[in-house]
Amino acid sequence: MALPLPTGLTQNEVSFLAEMEMVTVVPRQRLDSIDLLGGKTPQLRPPHRAQLPLWLALLLKKQRRANIVPPAWMHPASLAEIIHRETKEDPEAFSPPPPPPSRALYAQPGTARRLNHQHQPSFLDDLTQTTLDSQQQDPNSILSPPFLPSNVAESPAGYLPYHWLEIAEALLTHAGDDMPAPAGEVRSLLRDLVEVRAAKMRSSTSALEGFGDAWLTLRGVGAMELAENRAFLAGLVDGVRKIGASAEATRREEEEEARRGGEYGGDGDEDSDEDMGL
Amino acid sequence: MDIDDILASLDPHPPSSSSPSLIPPETRDLQALTRHWVAERSTPELLSWPSDGLFERINDKIKRQIEKVEEMTGDMDPKTNFALIVIQTELERWKFLVRSYLRCRVGKIDKHLLHYISNDALRTRMSPIEEAYARRHQLLLHNHYLNSFLGTFPPAMQNLNDTAGNISMIDSPDLDSAVFIRLLKNAEIECHGVDVDGVLTGKEGDIVILRWSDAKGLVERGDAELV
Amino acid sequence: MSYYDIDAILTDAEKIPCTFQIDVPDLGYLDNQPGHTLKAGSRVALPIWLAEMLAIANTGAVDMDDPSQSSKSFITFDLPSALGNDVVQALKADPRSVPLRDQSAHFYALATHMMELSEEPELSAVLRKTFVSRAAEIALHARKVGGGGSSYHGRDGGGAGGKGKGKATKEDNASNLGVGGAGEEFLRGLDEWERKLFRSAHDGTKASKEWMENVKKR
Repeated sequence: MALPLPTGLTQNEVSFLAEMEMVTVVPRQRLDSIDLLGGKTPQLRPPHRAQLPLWLALLLKKQRRANIVPPAWMHPASLAEIIHRETKEDPEAFSPPPPPPSRALYAQPGTARRLNHQHQPSFLDDLTQTTLDSQQQDPNSILSPPFLPSNVAESPAGYLPYHWLEIAEALLTHAGDDMPAPAGEVRSLLRDLVEVRAAKMRSSTSALEGFGDAWLTLRGVGAMELAENRAFLAGLVDGVRKIGASAEATRREEEEEARRGGEYGGDGDEDSDEDMGL
Repeated sequence: MDIDDILASLDPHPPSSSSPSLIPPETRDLQALTRHWVAERSTPELLSWPSDGLFERINDKIKRQIEKVEEMTGDMDPKTNFALIVIQTELERWKFLVRSYLRCRVGKIDKHLLHYISNDALRTRMSPIEEAYARRHQLLLHNHYLNSFLGTFPPAMQNLNDTAGNISMIDSPDLDSAVFIRLLKNAEIECHGVDVDGVLTGKEGDIVILRWSDAKGLVERGDAELV
Repeated sequence: MSYYDIDAILTDAEKIPCTFQIDVPDLGYLDNQPGHTLKAGSRVALPIWLAEMLAIANTGAVDMDDPSQSSKSFITFDLPSALGNDVVQALKADPRSVPLRDQSAHFYALATHMMELSEEPELSAVLRKTFVSRAAEIALHARKVGGGGSSYHGRDGGGAGGKGKGKATKEDNASNLGVGGAGEEFLRGLDEWERKLFRSAHDGTKASKEWMENVKKR
């Protein structure tokens, strides 16, 4: 009964998650709204575009009921730009994730507001109540992949969304004829990107060398890349921590002592008063 | 602007993206379920069972959807037939999420049975069914050990929760294990390292590897999520 | 440490050099002198679990004639040769060239345990550096064995421009089937922690490759 999988999402689970991302389709047939557990699907009326989760879009595509509009970032020009950024502009880091999403407000034409942003109370509150209500009140209201509306369907060119590789693979395999360029061209750009970023993933570990920093940041990394390297990276970080455990305990004792010494000395030294614990 | 966009803009029902971004409650449940699943799959220890009735609600919905599928199955009209395929596909996706979530929790409970049932605070993380399962499992296991070999030991050595010699027999998860999180807002992260403890200034969208013990507070406050 | 952890139990059975601080009657057989008293100052290798207890516990005796004899530890211990100066110097020079497994199958676990018993700040720093730089090498080998370079390799380009590369990839794979001389030697020298690391890197690469192949089938 118990799940026999190690901690952390596997490639197949990540791929499942990516299928919840929204993509834009152009229906080829009418389809009435379907009452699903996750909410009603939009009515499909050719040639009106609609946004659907990837799994449903792929189902429609396989039945030739719709075409999938490839996301802007998958255009060869966008991919080439990202490769340029990854190799020339900043050969060390992953290219940055898409900028945080903003939305035009319905109640205040011409005004844009960041999604997820901490709500600043203002005199406009009553006007924007409907918009803000749903976004601000419960902790689940902060959206992140795969539920970020702008992540894939509206993701801007030049940035790789979190689930980029999974989505690109699914679209190339099942909707190759909807691509903005020959699938082979897109694929070969993606392959270059995979290679460049795999090398970055490998070199990211050298940041840990010997000095036992408390963290490692991988801004811009993709879900599939993380799944592939997760167990290794976690094992590496855990190993460094375990080898350093006694050195860490000693250091903390010494710092504690220095701090106490400072207090008793009464010189009120701010530096020695750092709060070490949580 | 291409013709599709022009036509779309004439649509009397604006697409959801340009109307007030009200997220229907059904979609919220899906998002919450997904988040719970990802988090549970990503942490070394058992997380709290959601107390807001999420799973009770989801189970009811799944039951009703299964009944609906059964009703629809007789209908051979190709149009409803395709809707049925969509409904069934989605149903399977929900069932997968729920199952994987529950099995992942059972896996954690099995691994550290005594740890979770011997401590009041930890016990409350389990749902009533999970706690009953854990107790029963521990009982069966211990009796099995007693019948097969433990019974021949001196009575003082028949317990499984001994703490003699400064080593506890009760295994517990390593809370300092590395986890991966995404920052949902700019935040200061207090991190513990071997050579330094420090404060990392993180940007929204950063993916960070750190100790679960350092990440836990951020995740609970909603400043970060597990990935 | 986990109660049921086999590796921890095996690590505890590793022997370390100890020096007896007191005479123990009838224990001479430990030093190849059965029937005799084991003299203070004798050097004997004892398993960690025993050495640890004897080093921490003291005799508790109050010796009126010779106060220096009272409340002494039974033994003192030194670092095992696996963590000796030779090994540390070699690791400092080139961490990748030392077959750690020849020192101990539980090299890092042993070191970690020893560092709990006595402070060794330099050893701690050298070993952390060793672990990380060897890990990079491990990852490299694991990827080769796991699926030919990166997971994206090994499949055809699926259209224009992909064919030439597809062929080259197959050859890459073939040459990577055997890890090759130097690589094999390195992998043989991995300790248990490193083997685990190798396995997780290998499994990650393999799972990605399998996922990639499955996308097509769905």
